[in-house]
This record gives sequence, C-alpha cells and structure tokens, in this order.
Amino acid sequence: MKRYVRLYLYFLQFSFSKAMEFRLDFSFRIIMDIVYSLVNILFFKILFQHTTLIAGWREDQMLIFVASYILVDAISMTVFSTNMWWLAFQINKGDLDYHLIRPVSPLFFLSLREFSANSFMNLLISIGLLTYALGHYADPFSWSDLFLLLALLINGALMYYCCQMLLILPVFWTQSARGFMDLFYSMGIAMERPDRIFKGWLRVLFTIVLPFALIASFPVRLFLEKFNWPTFLHLVAVTILLWILMLGIWRRGLRAYSSASS
Amino acid sequence: MIKVSSLSKTFTSSIKEPGIKGSLISLFHRQKQSKEALKSVDLEIQQGEIIGLIGANGAGKTTLVKILAGIVHPTSGDVKVLGFTPWKRPNEYRKQMSLIMGQKNQVWWDLPALDSFLLLKEIYQIPVAQYKRNVEFLAETLMIKDQLKTQVRKLSLGERMKIELMAALLHNPKVIFLDEPTIGLDLSAQKAVRHFLREYQKEFRPMTILTSHYMEDIKELCPRVVIIKEGQFVYDGALSKIQGVLGDEKVVSVTTQSETFRIHVPRQDLANKTHQIFQEHDVIDLNIQDPSIEEVIESIMRTGVHTT
Repeated sequence: MKRYVRLYLYFLQFSFSKAMEFRLDFSFRIIMDIVYSLVNILFFKILFQHTTLIAGWREDQMLIFVASYILVDAISMTVFSTNMWWLAFQINKGDLDYHLIRPVSPLFFLSLREFSANSFMNLLISIGLLTYALGHYADPFSWSDLFLLLALLINGALMYYCCQMLLILPVFWTQSARGFMDLFYSMGIAMERPDRIFKGWLRVLFTIVLPFALIASFPVRLFLEKFNWPTFLHLVAVTILLWILMLGIWRRGLRAYSSASS
Repeated sequence: MIKVSSLSKTFTSSIKEPGIKGSLISLFHRQKQSKEALKSVDLEIQQGEIIGLIGANGAGKTTLVKILAGIVHPTSGDVKVLGFTPWKRPNEYRKQMSLIMGQKNQVWWDLPALDSFLLLKEIYQIPVAQYKRNVEFLAETLMIKDQLKTQVRKLSLGERMKIELMAALLHNPKVIFLDEPTIGLDLSAQKAVRHFLREYQKEFRPMTILTSHYMEDIKELCPRVVIIKEGQFVYDGALSKIQGVLGDEKVVSVTTQSETFRIHVPRQDLANKTHQIFQEHDVIDLNIQDPSIEEVIESIMRTGVHTT
C-alpha cells in the first residue's frame, strides 16, 4: 500500500513537470474549465427564473448540486480521463504487454499513471465553487454532514470511473478502437440532473445499471434532506456491486488478451 | 531453471473477405481460422545459460517468449520458470524476470531515463545501494552516462535501446527474455549492444533467451542454439555443430543485362567465384550478403543436422 502511494507521488511529480512544458495548453484549459462551470450554473439560473423549485430543490440547494457534480467531473478529468482515453487504444493495439510483466497491479498503473496536471486548476475552481455554494446555503448543517458529502462525492468520482471502465472494457472483445465511449459521454449527462427527474425504467437504469444518478445526486440529497438509511445503503450496495462487476470484467478481459495476444 | 514440456499454442481469429460485402457477411457469419503457433515443444535451460532462438518471421519465437514471460496463456502443456507458472503472474516471479522487446518500448517517452528508473526502483522495490550500483555499472558498460537526463524521445534509436536495456536490468533479473534487441539498429549500435550483453552475462550469469534476426547476435552470444520452424524445434544443440553452415556461406546476387540470379558460395571460394562471374557475364550489379535466417535454416536442414 505504501508503495502504491509512493508510486502515485511519482506520477504526480512527473505530470506536473511535463505540464510546465506546455504553458499555452495550460492556460487554455483553465479558460475552458471556467466556461464549462459558468454554462452549468447559468443553465439552472435560467430555469429558476420560471420556477422556485426543481425536483424539490430551491436555487441555493441546486447550486450545491451543480458545484458537486462539477467537483466530481473535475476529479475524474484530473485523475482518470487521460488514462481512460489511452486505455482503449492500448488494449486495442495490444500494448498491455509491459504492464503485465511488472510486479505491480496493471489496473492501478493503467488507471492512474497520467495525472492530468492541466486540469488541476479546474479542481481548485470547483472546490472554490462548492465553498461558495455552501456559504450561500440558507439551512444550517454540521461538519459531519459536510464530511459525509465530500466522502460520498469522492466515492461518486470512483463510481464514475467504474462506469467509464465498464464501457471501455468491451474493447477486449469487440476490437473497435473506442468501445462504447460515445455512449458513456452521452449518458454521462444523467449525472448532471437531480435523480428525482428520472422515473420508471430510466430510474432503474440510472440508479442501478449505470448509476450516474448516484454519483452526485444521492450524496447531495443526503446532505440537503435528512440523512436516511435506505438512500445511503442503496448507494453503498450499488458501489460494491459496481466494483465487483468492473474488476470481474477486467480480469476476464486480461484473460482474453492473454489468449489472443501474439 | 526453465522447463517447458509439450507446450502448444493455437490462435483462433476470424477472417473476413475484403470490402464492404465481406464486412456484412462477417456480421452474421464469422469464419474462424486457427493457427498453430507452437506445436508441442520441449525445452530445458539451466541457470547461467544463454540460448539463441532463431526462426523466420511467424515461426513462433515471440509466442514462446511471451508465454515464458507470462503474457500469453498457452493452449496446452506445462511451463515452469524458477519453479513458477509464468501466466499465473505471481509477483515473486515477475520480480525476478525481465522482458525486452526491440519493437516496443517500456520506458516513458516524455521522461528522462533517470525518472523512469526511479519509478522502476519503486515498482521492483530495489534497495537504494543496489539501485545506485546498477545504474552506475549499466550506464558505464553501455556508455550512456551523459544521456540519462535527456527525455527519451529526444534520443537516437540506438541510445533508446540502451536505455531499454538498463531499465530492464536494474532489478538484477534471474531470467531475461530478449526479443530482437538489435532490430533496426545500425551496425555500431548492434555491436555495442552485443558487447554489453556479453559483459552482462559474464558478470551476473542470468538465464537468457535471445531471439534475433541477425546471425551475428547469435554467433557471438549463444553457445547453444534452438531453431524453430513453423512452431516446432528443428534443432536444439551446440552452436559449434552448425557453425560451419552459419559462417561459411555468402549469398552473391548478380544482375546482368539479361538476367538476375542469386547463388550460395562458400566463403573461401568467394574471390574465385566472383572473378568467374565477371568473366562469364556482362555484370551490371553484384552484391555479396550474409544469407537470411530463412536460408540459413534451409541449409542447416539440408546438411542434415538433427535434433540432439
């Protein structure tokens, strides 16, 4: 475990020194990220000019939700996205060989090796946004509420990663270069909506099968409304299932890779 | 010790007729095609031994090496390397093994070599003293000291191969698989790599399997040779026994006004023979080369050297 922490510190160090080399890209990314945040906030601001409640939430509550999913998105962009982008190609091209011979988990390496230092500012901006949203929140809350929110949002980022993996891993069998990544991005929008708007089979899809609604919406709901066990346990159960499923498919994928690799 | 018993590997792949029609057909009806890359091969290698594995493209060299390195699952048969089953990939095995593929790089392009090495030090948990000693020794022997702080992508092909070798040997592996380590390198870089491998083998005595397209690599480094042809070993024995065939022949390609031909000529007859060719033909171009791996294997088979 300590070894993995040290390895990750090296990843960070390398990524930052690499990012310094490309300064233009660095500043461009910051502007892009700010625009992304503003568009999201504006979207709900406009909606609130026509109504006072959306999915049971007031505007100050909705701002916390928006800040939360922007934070999850920022974590995922910074920590995982570059790796995910490469992973599909590496599997497709048969480039996992060197990862399989090292005495270290290939999943760890392939998922975390490229920390996207360019998006790091994005992470800071989103933390700032969440702080602002909490500052303007009308109801009282305790430190433990806040702690739970943050912990569940981090868990949400990991769920997001799992969902992404689930749509990349078919590359082991399909031989298409990107798996179902486009599907992932078009469905990922479900993360950016309060879960209450999903009814019927859509609700089943987004809270159990591909649990995008659990990534930010459930944690925020537990924070804004009273903590309740059913919601919390639903979240925990789906998280566990998601990991088991993802790791299982990953293992089978490696097996398929080993049989086909020449 | 490496012990391979009746090891086979069959690949299945689906084939598709060319064009859009073929794609449509393959959507509904996949035709499977299987290829036997290895057909029940046996092999035993002792600690400290270095063997040369030669064969044409697609003969099964890389497949064998990848099975031994644990990347590929075999179809049947058994393999034990240092007592481990490679494709189960236990960490104790992976820590003592190293694989170098001339056509794939394992160090990170955007980083200076030393940064990659630090990462490897962590991955293999190499003690600081051993790490320092190895970096020193390897950089010295490979004469690459001054390039360690340059980003790898800015290095020449030969320098990059040297970095790859360093990276693969930092943890003092007991088993080394070298798959075409000199491919694409210019003559002086090939020479440097060969020189290094000989020194390294002398110093650390690992078990090494070397595959190469260049007979020079094999002749200089491997007292024992295994020849693989269409997934089967057709020769496993001392280099000295086939040395005659290996070193003795040259291939002369001749282009004249009217025709082009190639003949195999024993080295000692080379002067006479070329003289004769110039006298008998109206030569435009004449080229003297070493025989290709395929031709060498053919002549070994012809002269009737059999598995010992």
